[in-house]
Amino acid sequence: MAEPDGSLLLKGYGVLPGAYDELVDASGAPRSHALVATEMLDGLTPEGFQRCQSLAELSLVQQGVTFSVYSDQRGTEKVMPVCLVPRVMGAAEWSRVERGIVQRLAALELFLADVYGEQRTLREGVVPGEMVEKSKSFVPRLRGITPAGGVRIHIAGVDLIRDPAGTLRVLEDNLRTPSGVSYVLENRQVTKRVFQHAVEGGVRRVDDYPSQLAEALRSVSPEGVDPEESTVVVLTPGPFNSAYFEHSFLARSMGLELVEASDLVVDGDDVFVRTTMGPRRVHVIYRRTDDAYIDPEFFRPDSLLGVPGLMRAWAKGRVALANAPGNGVADDKAIYPFVPDLIRFFLSEEPILEQVPTFVCARRDDRMFVVEHLDELVVKAVDEAGGYGMLMGPQATQAERDKFRELVLAEPRKYIAQHRVELSTCPTWVPERKRLEPRRVDLRPFALASRAVGTIPSRWVLPGGLTRVALREGSYVVNSSQGGGSKDTWVTVNS
Amino acid sequence: MISRVADHCFWVGRYLDRAESTARLLQVTRSLAFDAEMPTQAVWRPVVTVSGQYSDFCERFGDKAAGQGDAVQRYMTWAPENAVSIKSSIWGARESARSVREVLSLDIWQATNELYLWFVSEEAQRTYALDRDEIYRQIRRQTQLSLGLVRSTMLHDTPMDILWLGVLLERIGQTARILDMHHYLLDGNGNGKQKDDAPKETAPGKHQIVQTALWLSLLRTCSGFEAFMRVHKGRVTGTDAVEFLLFEERFPRSLRYCVRSALGLVRRIWPAEMAAIGGAPLARLAALDAWLGERKKDVEPSSIHDLLTHVVDETALVCSEARHAMSGATAASEPTAEGTQTQQ
Repeated sequence: MAEPDGSLLLKGYGVLPGAYDELVDASGAPRSHALVATEMLDGLTPEGFQRCQSLAELSLVQQGVTFSVYSDQRGTEKVMPVCLVPRVMGAAEWSRVERGIVQRLAALELFLADVYGEQRTLREGVVPGEMVEKSKSFVPRLRGITPAGGVRIHIAGVDLIRDPAGTLRVLEDNLRTPSGVSYVLENRQVTKRVFQHAVEGGVRRVDDYPSQLAEALRSVSPEGVDPEESTVVVLTPGPFNSAYFEHSFLARSMGLELVEASDLVVDGDDVFVRTTMGPRRVHVIYRRTDDAYIDPEFFRPDSLLGVPGLMRAWAKGRVALANAPGNGVADDKAIYPFVPDLIRFFLSEEPILEQVPTFVCARRDDRMFVVEHLDELVVKAVDEAGGYGMLMGPQATQAERDKFRELVLAEPRKYIAQHRVELSTCPTWVPERKRLEPRRVDLRPFALASRAVGTIPSRWVLPGGLTRVALREGSYVVNSSQGGGSKDTWVTVNS
Repeated sequence: MISRVADHCFWVGRYLDRAESTARLLQVTRSLAFDAEMPTQAVWRPVVTVSGQYSDFCERFGDKAAGQGDAVQRYMTWAPENAVSIKSSIWGARESARSVREVLSLDIWQATNELYLWFVSEEAQRTYALDRDEIYRQIRRQTQLSLGLVRSTMLHDTPMDILWLGVLLERIGQTARILDMHHYLLDGNGNGKQKDDAPKETAPGKHQIVQTALWLSLLRTCSGFEAFMRVHKGRVTGTDAVEFLLFEERFPRSLRYCVRSALGLVRRIWPAEMAAIGGAPLARLAALDAWLGERKKDVEPSSIHDLLTHVVDETALVCSEARHAMSGATAASEPTAEGTQTQQ
């Protein structure tokens, strides 16, 4: 039974000094938009909550909601840890985030069309030419190609973080093969299964993502093909890929075939899938493989992986690839600092969403500031991801900082620098201590684009998205391979 | 249906049915060994023989171990190096299912995944140590659950037909091998020339009792005990038991039934206009069905081994022809390397 003050679980919860908490304010009182969650937690004792947690974990194992860490044939599979305390976002704030994401992706979509087209942004100096030309993800040979359906960023995951003042900021744009949406859907299922007394009707649904995605994919069918009749497939690297569960999950929930590269064959300019009835033409491919493994003829003559001729079929508009090859240039860390200017240039609007102030080492003034303040900054190599090629200035040794000083001065274009943002926290279950403690979170909303009517594709944003949480005390790393977990994300129906 | 996916579905069916058959074979043999009044050697060795693993087993443990119930059960249940052990089968079923989860229903995947997780858990180890019969019973129950879910939750369409074709072809092989093993048992025991049709009113001699125990175990191994008793009103003779498992068209594990059903599935998977692709397995199954129909008229006990060998060989050919057809290639062309995967 709940205690009279009705905050059994949250009682004694200590807010982390210097960080914004998603559910409670600095005094520890629930934020008004989060009442829908705190009231649900009210009815639970720590023992009761632990029971729910165990139920949730068991049901994830039984369903095989796992990512694999395959070292040998019978390698281990891990369940992405889930914390059942949800992260909640108010309707009003969400609506601003939604508009901000749509705006940002519209600009990035136009930027990609420009980079692989007229290159006005480079000529007019909105983005320095070398930032694009030296990007590893820029593929000059794609210039002049208009993809089927006129969309390049079909599926985007835009990572957001919240600073201590409560301002949401874009940390990074994922425009290639963003993953994690299956956890959003599974976490919601688990929440519904284990919480017997959740408040009904207060939270926006997420389970229509697969049908929205299927519609978006069908909408970009090549010219002359009826979208209702087109064959759409999901292309996976295979069961050994760490995100295989998601590939299979999405294919299953969309009712589409999940294929591997060896199932596809290009004959002439058309793509076919090998079936028990012989070859069948494919019109749209939701590919979850990297650019480098799409087509060995185009990207990697030394590789056997991929579908030979697929890029030729794509360039001729005979098949749509989601996302389009070459998108990496637009989510490159070197381009990130220029996105606000791109929004102003293409849309003549002010950016709705803030981003993290960034020093571009290629600029002389920025560079000088960076090398003088390495002990305060996070330095990132633009071509690396996942924490590689990175200097966490405040924690680094003097020797490491000296090394980065050399690196930055030797190849300035390769580096950007930012102040470390104190990520916001969310109450998170700590099983060893059987209580809630603040842990840092980020947010990855997912946005889908359909065939362009006019120049800009129409976009739909999944309410909420994936909240990742750094489960280790004091940690900022939300990545699942390094002790990160996830949370259900609730967007409230009313403000 | 995608060729690679078809192949995986086929193997989900084969592995599940194989795990179930093996569990039942071990369960029944264990019960037989207790009071069959036969040397345990004679009871257990054929289990390894019919699984086709005799030489591998002897290489690892020596041929003497082939007569030891514990060694055989351990090898047939747990050994990962034994390609037809229950563990290999369950793992294979689960890996195949994992590769095609999107075409199976969530229920099937969950049941198969739970079977695997349970089988590799300490709990299963404990059950194996403390209650041998129970572990075989649970394996059977859980594999049957997965197979039942196939029929009750999947769209009755090509993926299910192909999965079920795998089940039926595996079952033909298993039933034929188990029948053969019982013949071997009788021969090995010096009772090969059975006189099952001896008048029932005479008191059964020792050989008669041994034989009856064997036929009952044979029927149990094929889950055919109750069905047989209903058809034969409780009278057990060797000829009747063998004929029941060979020819009874109403019993879902008889060779005739499985061959017929497999033929029906192949016809549905590749209708007449797809004969260029599915013609070969279709023709071979039709011939096998007709051939079994012929044999039914007069089956000589002495010819049963040859009959079973023919069925096993033809079934193996049907399997490879069906997998070739699943690759979408026409019968005349070579299978594409990517279209099929190597699995036992």
